[in-house]
Amino acid sequence: MKRPGPLLTLLAGLLLAVFILTLDSTTGTRSASSTYEKPSSAKSPSAKPSPSAAVTSPSPAPKRSAAPAGVYTGRTDDDSSAVAVSLRGGKAIAYFCDGHNIESWLKGDVKGAGVMRLTGADGARLNGTLKGGGKLTGTADVGGGHYAFTLDRAKKPSGIYRANSQVAGARIVGGWIVLPGGRQVGIVTRDGKPAAAPAIDPETGAVTVDGQRLTARPVTP
Amino acid sequence: MTVDPNAATQSFPPEPARRAPGPARYLVPALVAGAVAVALGVYGRTHDPSGIAFNLAGFSSTGAVKSWLASTAFFFALVQLVSALMVYGRLPGPRWSATLHRWSGRIAFLVAVPVAVHCLYALGYQTYSTRVMWHSALGCFFFGAFSAKMLLLRSERLPAALLPLVGGLVLTALTLIWLTSAFWFFRTFGVTT
Repeated sequence: MKRPGPLLTLLAGLLLAVFILTLDSTTGTRSASSTYEKPSSAKSPSAKPSPSAAVTSPSPAPKRSAAPAGVYTGRTDDDSSAVAVSLRGGKAIAYFCDGHNIESWLKGDVKGAGVMRLTGADGARLNGTLKGGGKLTGTADVGGGHYAFTLDRAKKPSGIYRANSQVAGARIVGGWIVLPGGRQVGIVTRDGKPAAAPAIDPETGAVTVDGQRLTARPVTP
Repeated sequence: MTVDPNAATQSFPPEPARRAPGPARYLVPALVAGAVAVALGVYGRTHDPSGIAFNLAGFSSTGAVKSWLASTAFFFALVQLVSALMVYGRLPGPRWSATLHRWSGRIAFLVAVPVAVHCLYALGYQTYSTRVMWHSALGCFFFGAFSAKMLLLRSERLPAALLPLVGGLVLTALTLIWLTSAFWFFRTFGVTT
């Protein structure tokens, strides 16, 4: 055996990687389910994964295997707006956004066969059905319009992002849909007045609104 | 016959006749390097990025943790460059410069591993911007090139230019990785912990 040093170095790196991967796949998921519970809470997700946090939140493991989970993104059939639906633990949150002035946040339950009827403010509705092959089809009634859509299962950083803040006394709510390929559709609402949103960095969620740096967080039910 | 105990880059004299210098000593590191780089890339591409991972206490975000770890690795990589020049006699250095080179390299590598694991596990191999594309590709390349460097070290009588060349590639890759990640992070978000 010649000089084991370099091999031991590689082996140590490999073991370390496996060790961290194990930590990630056990601890990381728990901390996520306990911090991303509500999209409206602008809490920092950097909370440390602690055993107590895992106890207070419903254990994700058994539910997740049964209920569909993941993010579906796409555009409406008339190409006017973007739609994204995030599923987890039998619940769904959807964001509908045309990037100018029509947007809606909707939520509801997912029934056994992947059927969901979501509702939002001002009578907004979204009906969707999970199809095979990573598709989700449905219709949405938002802002007086009726839209049909087919969404594809998306990978991060595609998905729904949301930011809440106060800037210069105005209440700011931003919503973004990051589509596969990096295209974004978003609206920032200042004291209830919607306008096109500046782009976020999908990797970190960083965005500058009216000169103030905000962090948009991924939205999951 | 005297054997210099510090002659770390050579094997013991009685051995060299045993294995004729064949193509295997280049081929094996090259194949391993390719396999490592491709495997990392394929994993990053196919694994559904979790977006999250466990966070170290005391840091505001995983981005900050990674940036500091990556900067630590980059610092030790600079030590690598200096100590390598010492080992090759291009710079005046102490007798323990070979040890310094070995251990700074180990530390740099081991510090970079958690960063890479987080990248691949939580973010995946992405191409949505030039910076991200280069970072993803070079990240995979780096661990391949590093594996090759480690395996090459086990061979004796390599062409004199080979180790510095591969080492330089590893260092260049790490520098570009750092510029496209930690440096970008600190410039975008400020130097935060």
